[in-house]
Amino acid sequence: MRTDLTRLDLRLRRRGLWAYALGTGAYALLIVVLYPSFRHDTSLDQLMRGNPTVAALFGVSGSLTSPAGWLNANLYANIVPLSALLLTIGYGAAAVAGENDDERLGLLAALPLSRRTLLGQKLLALGVLSTPVALTTLAADLVGRFYQLQPPWPGLAGVTLGVALTAFLFGCLALAIGCLTNNRGAAIGVASAAAAASYVVSSLAGTVAWVDRLRLFSPLYWSVGQNQVENGLSLTSLAALALTIAVIAGVAVWSFDRLDLR
Amino acid sequence: MRVHPGSDSEAAVDLHGLTKRYGRRRGIRDVTLRVLPGEVLGFLGPNGAGKSTTIRLLMGLLLPTAGVVEVFGSDPRLDVVVRRRIGYLPGELALFPSLSGRELIGRVARVRGGVEPREIDRLVGRLKVELDGPIRSLSKGNRQKIGLVLAFMHRPDLLVLDEPSSGLDPLLQDEFEQLVHERVCEGATVFLSSHDLDEVDRVVDRVAIIRAGELVGVDTVDSLRTRAPRLVELHFAGPTDPSSVLAVPGVRALDVTATRVRLEVTGQLGALLHAAAPLGVVDLTARPVSLDAIFRSFYEDGPMGRMTHAN
Repeated sequence: MRTDLTRLDLRLRRRGLWAYALGTGAYALLIVVLYPSFRHDTSLDQLMRGNPTVAALFGVSGSLTSPAGWLNANLYANIVPLSALLLTIGYGAAAVAGENDDERLGLLAALPLSRRTLLGQKLLALGVLSTPVALTTLAADLVGRFYQLQPPWPGLAGVTLGVALTAFLFGCLALAIGCLTNNRGAAIGVASAAAAASYVVSSLAGTVAWVDRLRLFSPLYWSVGQNQVENGLSLTSLAALALTIAVIAGVAVWSFDRLDLR
Repeated sequence: MRVHPGSDSEAAVDLHGLTKRYGRRRGIRDVTLRVLPGEVLGFLGPNGAGKSTTIRLLMGLLLPTAGVVEVFGSDPRLDVVVRRRIGYLPGELALFPSLSGRELIGRVARVRGGVEPREIDRLVGRLKVELDGPIRSLSKGNRQKIGLVLAFMHRPDLLVLDEPSSGLDPLLQDEFEQLVHERVCEGATVFLSSHDLDEVDRVVDRVAIIRAGELVGVDTVDSLRTRAPRLVELHFAGPTDPSSVLAVPGVRALDVTATRVRLEVTGQLGALLHAAAPLGVVDLTARPVSLDAIFRSFYEDGPMGRMTHAN
């Protein structure tokens, strides 16, 4: 399989990729190192129990001082997916709509590659871009064993996969909107709005009854919204994320075949 | 080998009833055009006439609203193999600003496959391409040279060039024309859009002129010159009534005084000379209009009107 255009896109974004990955990794390391200072702070758990809605708005559920609760509340319920999504939504919007707007896509599409191959290589680049934030956070988590932070490793592996899949999913959504509208702004706007709505639904699902009914439509619920640090990523969640990605990627391929390029 | 219009060989480019609309905006309408192998076709028209739209349709970048595009008998939008045979230089050449010319050419060559490094070196040497340093730091001319290397490096059978000499200095324009000539001598076909009429005059076999999205003429440059109006000036020995001269078909008065008339004459001069002879003509000058004026005539819906298709 040819990956020339995948490598080109990654080459063009290598600085941003390193910056996001190392920045998020450094933040995760700080959270890990801080854990011993809060490990026995029962007031935090009391605060969360007393204000469950506020806690839910920040993506916190369960104990804040357990290893899994600490990582979930400070990393996986908010910052880590957000950081990964910024990278992939940005790339998804730029990969087709942005490059077409800059009049660079025509030069590539005129090469002897089918449109599906071209888009496939961009989806592959998106896949690569979906992983570094999740992996550097996992690397920071692994340092936790030296700081009394030892969550279940299957759970960590599951939530890492969940973050990567969610990043891929929303990046794919930005790509598909870009293919449908040929508009970078629309691609960023729609994908960001969908991610924000998904976050709110996933966070409030256990607190607000009518929101709870919407939780199945939230990719963040499937990836990080079910205390995956503790429980891991279920096969049902994996299937839900994979199916959603397949549908969105299908829309992207269909619309890219019909897109006018410059 | 050059194959000239009128040959029975399969067309290198065949556009039939090609129409593109952008919502309510006009694109092009019902463009039908054949370019034969070995031919150099100049594709001309004022800004916004539809040249780049036609070229993007030809490259398979746009989905036509109606009509058919065939390059060497295949639809370049769907047939990847036929795109191996095409070298393309877009009109608004946008490269990747953070890459160097060397890196970009290398990456595109790998995607294409089968590009001879020696051929790249040869083109780089002839066009004096600046390969090192980020593309964002290069002048427009230097970026254009990289675009020309990308278009020529795989020795394509069809060159689709949109404003290729834009930004090139006169010496490099000569080198570019020489490159085109060499490719054509090896059997390649060229579809060339240009505003440089001198270049068109030197390089192309035929011209196709598009205006407001419609093809208004296809003809050879020589034929255009032959059929173009000439400027004729007659001086008389004394005050003369020139009405018999002005009544000749194909004659249009530009300036009339008692002893001199300036005329624009389309077609043969015989009838005019016959009508002028009894009027005591003491001097006559006749010169063809410039190529520039011929094209302006088409661009501005001038007196030449619509040409018949030569092909």
